[in-house]
Amino acid sequence: MKPLLHIALKSAWNRRLTLGLTLLAISLAVTLLLSVERIREAARDGFAQSVSGTDLIVGARSSPLQMVLYAVFHVGEASNNVDWKSYQAIAADPAVAWSVPLALGDSHRGFPVLGTTPAYFEHYRYGDRQPLGFTAGQPFSGLFDAVLGAEVATKLGYKLGERITLSHGSGQLPGQAHADKPFTVVGILAPTGTPVDRTVHVSLAAIEAIHLDWQGGAPIPGVAIPADVVSKFDLQPKTITAFMLGLHQRSGVFRLQRKIADYRTEPLLAVLPGVALDQLWQTVGVVEKTLLGISWLVFAVGLAGLAAVMLASLNERRRELAVLRSVGAGPRHILFLLMLESLLVTLLGVLLSLAVVTSAAWLGGPWLAAQFGLSTLPLALSLGELRLLAGIFAAALLVSLWPAWRAYRLSLADGLIPRL
Amino acid sequence: MNPPAIAITNLAFRWRSADAFCLELANATVNAGKSLFLHGPSGSGKSTLLNLIGGVLLPTHGSVSLLGQALGELSASRRDAFRADHLGFVFQQFNLIPYLSVLDNVLLPCRFSTRRASRVGQPEAEARRLLAGLDLDPTLLGRPAAELSVGQQQRVAAARALIGQPEILIADEPTSALDAERQAVFVELLLSEAKRAGSAVVFVSHDLRLATHFDQSLALNA
Amino acid sequence: MLMIRTLLLSILLVLSSPALAEDYRVGERLTQRKATPAPNYREIEWDDLIPKDWDPMAAFKGLNMSRLKDSDPKAIEALEKMKAAWAEAPVEPSLDGKRVKLAGFVVPLERKGDAVLELLLVPYFGACIHTPPPPANQIVHVVLKKPAEGLKTMSAFWVSGTLSLQRGDSSMGIYGYRMTGEQLDPYPLPKGMK
Repeated sequence: MKPLLHIALKSAWNRRLTLGLTLLAISLAVTLLLSVERIREAARDGFAQSVSGTDLIVGARSSPLQMVLYAVFHVGEASNNVDWKSYQAIAADPAVAWSVPLALGDSHRGFPVLGTTPAYFEHYRYGDRQPLGFTAGQPFSGLFDAVLGAEVATKLGYKLGERITLSHGSGQLPGQAHADKPFTVVGILAPTGTPVDRTVHVSLAAIEAIHLDWQGGAPIPGVAIPADVVSKFDLQPKTITAFMLGLHQRSGVFRLQRKIADYRTEPLLAVLPGVALDQLWQTVGVVEKTLLGISWLVFAVGLAGLAAVMLASLNERRRELAVLRSVGAGPRHILFLLMLESLLVTLLGVLLSLAVVTSAAWLGGPWLAAQFGLSTLPLALSLGELRLLAGIFAAALLVSLWPAWRAYRLSLADGLIPRL
Repeated sequence: MNPPAIAITNLAFRWRSADAFCLELANATVNAGKSLFLHGPSGSGKSTLLNLIGGVLLPTHGSVSLLGQALGELSASRRDAFRADHLGFVFQQFNLIPYLSVLDNVLLPCRFSTRRASRVGQPEAEARRLLAGLDLDPTLLGRPAAELSVGQQQRVAAARALIGQPEILIADEPTSALDAERQAVFVELLLSEAKRAGSAVVFVSHDLRLATHFDQSLALNA
Repeated sequence: MLMIRTLLLSILLVLSSPALAEDYRVGERLTQRKATPAPNYREIEWDDLIPKDWDPMAAFKGLNMSRLKDSDPKAIEALEKMKAAWAEAPVEPSLDGKRVKLAGFVVPLERKGDAVLELLLVPYFGACIHTPPPPANQIVHVVLKKPAEGLKTMSAFWVSGTLSLQRGDSSMGIYGYRMTGEQLDPYPLPKGMK
């Protein structure tokens, strides 16, 4: 077999122009396949592990998916807020063991700001019921204290004691900064691989405080309430964006969910995070299957092109194959030679794709994480991807049999002297 | 007494779908170190005969024995191995793999036959020696075979056929593509090298003028 | 030609991954069929989770419905009482610690990647969305011993494990069922369904 490998390499190199085009097609398809698989797995893992141990997430009535997206992933916006009184009423239900209110809407240099209570750090779980841990400092206690997620601290190079200002909304428009009320970093969280890493956490009262002299999303002109006198005002929030609930008994979740849905005072929606994520997954699953289907089709086209190129070249290669037979190659060797050539092209295509996917993951991973709240993409191959590659090579092997078989038959018939 | 290099007895071949025999040869024997000139018009079954001697085809009647081994007794893959070990071929044209270098082409048989490789010792040196003996410019060694002229290609083919001292050398119209002055020179070079190696030579051609170079002569009927 | 056809067929087969959605209707219950007998587990039905002596219709005893006027406050009161009783549904104490096998629809609560760690088992399809929620003694909180793959919301499974009673609200002392999920078997679809 070794002499065949050498000949196969030289032969493929000789026809590098035509084979190169099919190589590109195969490489493109495999890149698509691998990318879809990798993003799907990262998203699946990232999404699933973002929230754990929470029975219900409650917010203004909207689509369940939208609510999970902004309450857990801090992506997108709530259509409406929840009245503080409603929150208190529901949190007081005997079935509820703990509750954590959430207020979203501000940002800091592109990272979302979450207003909540210290109970958040106690009850929020992620992954396999992991609690949040601190690498430095502690939860907020003072009014203008802030706790940073791991990525915020790393990306912006903040340490304990750093002074930061928040911005209203996404912070992209000028004049939206709450510059007069800076915050102090008192805690930095350990990395979790969830949207917590990208979030700046402050107290609910602080959110109220920075909006005291604001109205309708902009500062009231001529009115300025300095930071040191805000505590004189009532900093009880009137509305929050959403809240998380934990129950004494998980099986009671449906009853409470129904109760919240029937709540007369305000239109509210309570979702089970697991169920909402499943629904998200079903939708994503459809897209993902379509993408995979298209990628496999492109791959089939690439393979068909390869087979066509190999077949087309067979006629002019008959003398060359006869020469090989004269030095002692059998038709079997001819078969293997052609299969080797096809497989070499496929292998090269796969290696090229791997290089592309790995560098894309390395370069683009952080951006994807920022945009969609995913954990960064892994660089190494996963089990699912290895299975995919096995399927790819199996398909290539099957297709390579076709021109190889034809060459085998030709070689048998031609012998040492092809009749041309 | 060594068995003859080639022993053909009552040979006849017919394609399965055909009625008539395309080749009939009563007897032919070539001893080691001897040369046979085989001539016949086109259609007389020369290609078939070469395929039979090469072990690619099996006769319908009769037998072909090489070095005492009846080819009919060997399986197809054993025949391929036998061919690799003991035979060298030169064809009329397109002898070389165009994308391999001259050197790689000459060394091909050594890749497929460990026996021939072991007889050579230093393959590259032997290849150079053969090519020099066949009067080929040594600077061409690294070039892809497709870049050579027809005459140069034929000489490379001869070197390839001769490397590793195969016991049998088959040449099928090797000079037909060459011009007249070079034909005689080529034949002489080929035969002298073959004699050095002690190989039996079968030379097929329609050009009777060349017959004088050979020990025996045989005609194939149409 | 044959090669290309075979290739396309194999690709199609690979793509049509078994996303067999159970074609249940909302509120539909699983027909009680005998599962492959599990030696260690006693197969039970959802009705077994309700204590024998509990009668939610107790409030209606003694009321002659045909004698009441329309919108009679007694009838409304009886209905409210029944609803309250339904909400406080008690558990069957004799089932505490028993090894049982029960079929129902799953609602995944906790996941690890694709695998489910904890789930709720309910008696009928669509229990979390369209229909009134089941009473407390008709929901089982299952904590799986080993993470299980391939569970989608509202897919049907046989769950085998040890039942236990769990105290719920601190004030009202409501009990609920909890199960260690030792084994999960897919519930086979009846003939005629996809």
